[in-house]
Amino acid sequence: MAANYWESTQRKHWQFTRQQLDELRKNLEDEDQNLVQMYPLPQVRHLSIYFNQQIGRLGKRLGVRQQAMATAQVYIRRFYSKVEIRRTNPYLVIATAVYLACKMEECPHHIRLVVSEGRALWPDFFSSDTSKLGECEFFLISEMSSQMIVHQPYRTLSALQATLSLTQEEAALSWSIINDHYMTDLPLLFAPHIIAIMAILLALVLRPTATGIQSASSSASTIASAAQGALSSAGQLKAGGAESKVGGERSEVQRLSNWLAESNIDIEAIVDCTQEIISFYEFQEQYNEKLTREQINRFVKARGLDK
Amino acid sequence: MFIARGGYTTQSSDRSPSIGYQSKVRVVDRYKVIGFISSGTYGRVYKAVGRNGQAGEFAIKKFKPDKEGEQIQYTGISQSAVREMALCSELSHVNVIRLVEIILEGKCIFMVFEYAEHDLLQIIHHHTQPTRHPIPPATVKSIMFQLLNGCQYLHSNWVLHRDLKPANIMVTSSGEVKIGDLGLARLFNKPLHSLFSGDKVVVTIWYRAPELLLGSRHYTPAIDMWAVGCIFAELLSLRPIFKGEEAKMDSKKTVPFQRNQMQKIVEIMGLPTKEKWPNLVSMPEYLQLSTLSANQHAKTGGSSLEKWYYSTINSHSPTSAPSSNASLGAEGYKLLSALLEYDPEKRLTAQTALQHPFFSTGDKVSGNCFEGMKMEYPHRRVSQDDNDIRTSSLPGTKRSGLPDDTRPTKRMKE
Repeated sequence: MAANYWESTQRKHWQFTRQQLDELRKNLEDEDQNLVQMYPLPQVRHLSIYFNQQIGRLGKRLGVRQQAMATAQVYIRRFYSKVEIRRTNPYLVIATAVYLACKMEECPHHIRLVVSEGRALWPDFFSSDTSKLGECEFFLISEMSSQMIVHQPYRTLSALQATLSLTQEEAALSWSIINDHYMTDLPLLFAPHIIAIMAILLALVLRPTATGIQSASSSASTIASAAQGALSSAGQLKAGGAESKVGGERSEVQRLSNWLAESNIDIEAIVDCTQEIISFYEFQEQYNEKLTREQINRFVKARGLDK
Repeated sequence: MFIARGGYTTQSSDRSPSIGYQSKVRVVDRYKVIGFISSGTYGRVYKAVGRNGQAGEFAIKKFKPDKEGEQIQYTGISQSAVREMALCSELSHVNVIRLVEIILEGKCIFMVFEYAEHDLLQIIHHHTQPTRHPIPPATVKSIMFQLLNGCQYLHSNWVLHRDLKPANIMVTSSGEVKIGDLGLARLFNKPLHSLFSGDKVVVTIWYRAPELLLGSRHYTPAIDMWAVGCIFAELLSLRPIFKGEEAKMDSKKTVPFQRNQMQKIVEIMGLPTKEKWPNLVSMPEYLQLSTLSANQHAKTGGSSLEKWYYSTINSHSPTSAPSSNASLGAEGYKLLSALLEYDPEKRLTAQTALQHPFFSTGDKVSGNCFEGMKMEYPHRRVSQDDNDIRTSSLPGTKRSGLPDDTRPTKRMKE
């Protein structure tokens, strides 16, 4: 329920295995083979980066807090797991998701303001008719089966900050890794606390003193192995193995792996989660904003979805 | 839980494919409306049965879309409707009304709930007819336990109800108490804005906690617990314990001090003191307290709740039946006074209230509040003059005898 992830609709209805998610998406494409062939699109990751950027732009204009933008991104990801993107106007869906997420996260904006900002951002693809957004809201809520409460990793991060004695910088870096994970499928694959721990682990391994997350992609394999080291040491501790020695690493990493070893947290899931985000950082370099935008705009225009 | 299905359809027209949302499910295909229950500012409630073999009866709450001219338009769903939809979709507890599904159709929202034959307002009212006769103690005990159990579930899930009152507490024909109408409910764990901003006034005034009356901006579960205390008192005396008159908002839209309501509380509870309620002095309306007229007893901070309690449980049935509520005894008073505690930090929580000796002394508490009762309460009144959930009653159309601002199931009392 609202405070309990384990009883939540998020866990019951919106947590998938990779295979399930692939299948959902494949089914959507199969149902609309003609559309899919006519309008090629970049891979989901790149679409997600594009959406993330657009949400950021809209959010900035509206003064929306990060948490609401995070919720909006989860809404969009849920929605497009059930609806073929080429049947929708993504700009309208983005604005609607932000509008709805702001209401859910207790920072509401008037529909007219959201529409006018959307229109200012995407003049060629966005109607000034507020009823379009109102209608899309029905569509969005309906596809989400009214399940709009999203459990975010941010809360786990705040709770663990003291437990693990994270510095401000480490917490800030973890926070920004959490921000990044909304560009991946991770929110549909893992529990929020797994994602939070993944973010903390990466932040500790990366060290905030480094130039930040962008440097991650260049040394992804180094990071991956450092993270793996911490996790396998936790695994060994858990299995009752010898006192772990995570050689040459900071004591925070040690503390995290000790803490993990004592917890019931699924270490396998954290490993999995870590690999996913690292591979995302690698892929991020290949992202081509211009191509992504053109391909989206093409089907929106050709199909008159902006009307 | 199954919830709404819907989708976009592209009406194939060669020139401009007009896209429109269309529900995958139609309310009238799934439910047969058998009557109209009530109407309010939010819309209307209908009683219905399933057409697809769904067991039981249903209450369908139809949200009124905002009207713009003659044509109904999509104008964006109100934040309170969004909250209610989201919260009800997550909640699952025997003492909270169960959402069956939500259908978004024809620019309207239909929330389908399990049907409850009774509510506390109706039950209390029944005990004043034709003369006042008390609600049996076992029933009071069971209602209170179930009500607290539902509150405990809500609060442990960071949900504040914020509008607990007899009309919102449903009771099924099998005696199960269900907290209903989460239209004002909110999560209190992560308010981006203060819980106070946005909706200035919350909770029907008779059940409004003193800290709210004194201008507190901090919403806590204790606010619901005050209301539970008021409901307990009302179950015993069959009338609202603090029946104040609401001061209306002035033209500047400032929230007025609810002097009359606070006065009613002080008359029974005495004036709050900073000795017993340390944070009292930091309440925005603290200075207003000195302007209240307290009787001699109340001036010294004395409460006459105990006197009120014993005269209430002993006063009923002047005629034949023995005054049965006397059996609720001293523990009943202790529970009541711990719920109607001025200091919200000392007020009983739902969790601790459930452990109260009131529930462990005497007869075992039943999960059926009607257990052992010979009589049956009258059924909910369902009117037949509006059975068309879809079109006939266009929102905003007032109908005879049914003021548009009545809350669900609320009827005139006394």
